Amino acid sequence: MPAQAPLLSGRQAGRRHRRADLRTIIFRRCVLAVPVVLGVSLLVFLLAGISPFNPLTAYLGDRYVQASVEQRQQLAEALNLETSWFSAWLQWIGSALTGDLGYSRVFRQPVTAVLSERMPWTLLVAGTGLFLAVVSSLLMAVRCAYRPGGFLDRAVGAGATVLQGLPPFVISLGLLGVFAVAAGWLPGGGLADPGAELSAGQVARHMVLPVLATALSQLPWLVLSLRTSTAGIQASDAVRGARLRGLSERTVVRKHVLPAALAPFIAVLGSRLPEVIVGAVLIETVFSWPGLAAAVVSSAQALDFALLAALTVLTTITVLAASLLADLLYMLLDPRVTADV
Amino acid sequence: MFSSRTSSPATSGPAAASVLRQVVLPERSRAGKRAGALIGAAVLAVIVAYAVFVPLIAGTDQKLTDFSSARLPPSSGHLFGTDHAGRDLFVRLASGLRISLLIAALCAVLAMVLGMLVGAASATLGGRADRSIMRCIDAVNAVPHLLLGVVIVAMFRGSVTAIVASIALTHWTQVARIVRAEVLSLRGLEYVEASYLLGRTRTQVLRRHFLPAALGQGTVATVMLLPHAIWHESTLSFLGLGLSPDRASLGTLLQEAQTEVMLGGWWALAFPALLLVCTTLAIAACGNGLVSTTAGRS
Amino acid sequence: MPEIRGRDLSRLAAAALLLTVAAGCVADPENTGEGAPLVLADANELGRFNPVGGHGDSGQSQIYDGLLRLAPRDGSSSLPDLIPWLATEMPRRNTEGTEWTVRVRDGVEFTDGTVLDAEDVAATYKAVIDPASASELAPSYDMLQDVTAGPDGTVTFTLKYPYSGFASRLLLGIAPSERLMPGLAAESSLNTDPVGTGPYTLASLRPDELVLTANEDYWNGAPEVKTVTIIHVPDDNSRAQRLQTGEIDGTVLPPSLAAAYEDKPGYSQEAVETADWRGLSLPAGNAFASDPQAVLAMNLAVDREAMVDHVLAGRGVPAHTPVAAVYGDAFDPDAVFPFDPEGAKTLLDEAGWVAGEDGKRTRDGVPAAFDLAYNASDTLRRDLSLAFASDMSGIGVDVTLLGTDWNVIEERRRDVGILLGGGDKPYDLDSQLFETLHTAVPGTGSPFANPGNTGSAEIDAHLEAARTSTDPAERTARYLAVQDLYVQQPGYVMLAFINHNYIQREMGWQNIRTVLEPHAHDVGWGFWWSLRDWTRE
Repeated sequence: MPAQAPLLSGRQAGRRHRRADLRTIIFRRCVLAVPVVLGVSLLVFLLAGISPFNPLTAYLGDRYVQASVEQRQQLAEALNLETSWFSAWLQWIGSALTGDLGYSRVFRQPVTAVLSERMPWTLLVAGTGLFLAVVSSLLMAVRCAYRPGGFLDRAVGAGATVLQGLPPFVISLGLLGVFAVAAGWLPGGGLADPGAELSAGQVARHMVLPVLATALSQLPWLVLSLRTSTAGIQASDAVRGARLRGLSERTVVRKHVLPAALAPFIAVLGSRLPEVIVGAVLIETVFSWPGLAAAVVSSAQALDFALLAALTVLTTITVLAASLLADLLYMLLDPRVTADV
Repeated sequence: MFSSRTSSPATSGPAAASVLRQVVLPERSRAGKRAGALIGAAVLAVIVAYAVFVPLIAGTDQKLTDFSSARLPPSSGHLFGTDHAGRDLFVRLASGLRISLLIAALCAVLAMVLGMLVGAASATLGGRADRSIMRCIDAVNAVPHLLLGVVIVAMFRGSVTAIVASIALTHWTQVARIVRAEVLSLRGLEYVEASYLLGRTRTQVLRRHFLPAALGQGTVATVMLLPHAIWHESTLSFLGLGLSPDRASLGTLLQEAQTEVMLGGWWALAFPALLLVCTTLAIAACGNGLVSTTAGRS
Repeated sequence: MPEIRGRDLSRLAAAALLLTVAAGCVADPENTGEGAPLVLADANELGRFNPVGGHGDSGQSQIYDGLLRLAPRDGSSSLPDLIPWLATEMPRRNTEGTEWTVRVRDGVEFTDGTVLDAEDVAATYKAVIDPASASELAPSYDMLQDVTAGPDGTVTFTLKYPYSGFASRLLLGIAPSERLMPGLAAESSLNTDPVGTGPYTLASLRPDELVLTANEDYWNGAPEVKTVTIIHVPDDNSRAQRLQTGEIDGTVLPPSLAAAYEDKPGYSQEAVETADWRGLSLPAGNAFASDPQAVLAMNLAVDREAMVDHVLAGRGVPAHTPVAAVYGDAFDPDAVFPFDPEGAKTLLDEAGWVAGEDGKRTRDGVPAAFDLAYNASDTLRRDLSLAFASDMSGIGVDVTLLGTDWNVIEERRRDVGILLGGGDKPYDLDSQLFETLHTAVPGTGSPFANPGNTGSAEIDAHLEAARTSTDPAERTARYLAVQDLYVQQPGYVMLAFINHNYIQREMGWQNIRTVLEPHAHDVGWGFWWSLRDWTRE
């Protein structure tokens, strides 16, 4: 910490330091991101290099069994599969820096086309689902905090505990079974009814189940961590003091408990993002939602390195950015906390 | 990622573990946790006994199929019904659970060893080494676990080693962080200082004082990893990237259940899913009990 | 410190929830009846429309036409005829069978307005055999040396060796030469923007859905079904479910799911016959599995009828040799192995494989056991392997299953049995038999062609003679002789020919025909193979 300028009041100086702190943390994280991204992409190519599997198998599919040794050799040469993993990585990095992410062998399209075609759908479902989970967990936590240990509090706790024991794919299968197969109220997959115009109404109908699945798989963690921190704050001196001053329970919860619980909540939210991505992989698979996450599985199964590397790097950057954002918010909300990085 | 200048209780020590925990249980009183842990342990004992003894008694030969008695609903003869190849699901689920538990335990132990070594070493070395190790841990954490798992398993398909490696390699960082925090809190203590003064090297101190002291926290963190490891295995197998599909595990059974549900065989989904939830919750309850006892000790 | 207003939050959440629920309840516009698009679901990734990359290689493409086309005689139960399509007549061959000449039809236009000529045909086939295009079809066109376009609208194919079944290779769709750029077939723009002479054109392509519209100027008359929508649903269960909810009109399903549509009113179902066999090769490096007596015993101990009934839900035919009944005269109905587990046990006892106390057989301490590998992503192969292993434990043979990837299987092919499939090019018996039964020449051919390297010089001689002979009667006699030799000393355990299962809602279309199918099964086959000919009356 540099010495404070004597002319500024304590408050102003504090703000100025805070801004400097924020700049430092952003700068440092960005610098850190470069080796992480390079390392992750290197790891993908390294794993591919030592993997016993041959991408040619996936490329030829059932025809692999018929290809003779010489034909395979020719194909591998033409597809540039013969280079060592390290030079393949160098080539990939080189062209990625110029904006060319290569060609996806699974989708028979440039990687950039695959990304731009599928990214909006993933963002739509994951974003809406997470938003729904955040809003409803805050609501529930507020209600529960009015009467800790009350019926609602216990019910929410028990429900969330059971729900978090269910992996996203079981939740998705359950929703599919109940709402799409048994009741037939909602479509069970795809972006729009087959043959129908890709309209907002159509997409809205089709995204209900995937969004619900995303929300339900994130909700328990958020609710439970909020309940844990509100319980801690309820017992703090400040809140006890407020109660002693005769403030109403509503005011205590809204003005004292929740704001204090918000900072750790945002930290949890930042740390949940990788799990949201994991959930998206499963949910998009079950609901045949044509997003990026579903492409992860196809590209991994087919050892489609260009797409796989792009997807891995993309998710890594997203996770790093989200954790930076959460940390910045945490710092802004809770003045006691300083950045470690 | 944070240190608090005014020591905020929410971000230091064992409480930080609650953020990292895989399964969060409702906050309870210590006595409540003990009771929860007892119930959890009892449930877990029943589940483990089921997984160990049922295959022993019924035999583990999963090759014997009887396609003529396929897809029978639960009855007194077949408690959990039969699968598409006419195999008894009560027996098959037990052997599947056994494999899943074994894989999870193996992953957890591997993650614990790796995490304890790195965490303790990082805290003992301190300074620049500590900082760069922590940055590496941040880097590993930045990659979504399942994504890395999918990549590893896709490239070494069907091998149990790959599944174990993909889970252990992505989960050790949490153990490492907790152990590091624990060792850091020990570093300034008198008996450690005395050890250094007696001329012990850092390796000796690490072995004699830090590792044994961190064992408790490390074990708790490992127990907390178990549910996630079980999940991870079932998820990979569900995506068709895990075990060989003729070998029963929670994941392969749940994957088969997808078809069965379409054909009306709810039992093929219900029982494995129920068992998955019970196992993870029971382990989490035990872990929570452990946390409260270790917290009480220190 | 920010203040959280509970009421605002409640409102926000309520609005969000209402919005989603309301969106969910918006009435589904009914679009059935006349002129409604036909909606099909397919498991394969959409796109990949480049014929050089393998699209429509058996003439099943809706977008491209081939020089020849299949003409079913009586549905899928017999070998179809080949008839000229973009060719004016059937190809002429020289006496050795190494040069084949075809005249290309005049006056046919591609959907981009250019006129089809011999250059386009030559360019398409040249691209297939060009190593630089890395075509997946190259293995099937191994015999093709060169293609030249003559001045008078003829195309001449020069072969590396005499190949009497070459006409069956002329079904491939033809693309315009100016769109066949040198370079990888996988990166060609034809994958996403196809141009052919076929009855349909691609109207739109999304990752989850594509729309085909009728080519009103189709040279053979515009089809009556005007719009076809194909959606991408990789999961078998989701396809079955969406068929049930009426979202889609038709799809391809695995046998167990298709069986649920048996006798369901309003749906028609077709189990199309194929020459697509499933069977296992036996490891040459295993003492038990390479013992000829043991192989014969295993062939006797396999309950093929039960496999067809239970694993294939009745949708298949037991296979004893790679020759299916669809080959008519060339099929020997007596070349079968009876189901006789007792006889199998006797054979094994005679060969010295004696059962121990636990029922498992050994000879001189060597156990009667081997590993059976199958492609893990194929549930049908998994279940056939399971059923085989179960049958084998009945006679004291211990078969361990190994679900994995082709690469691993290939590496271990000397030591593991492999659950193989065949019938990729069923329209000539040569491609069904030659690779499978001919003894391997080391270092050439596919590692999966006859992995156990079983067979005999006698079988080899018949296969080679049949491949080059120009006389159909002689070929038939040769193939009958091969089957006779095979059942005396089998090299595989053939299990079943599988049917492909297609389900479709009944919509009043007539003139729906199916044809004997190769290994491929998608919505280009089944009912929809004849989509262009469907009529209302």
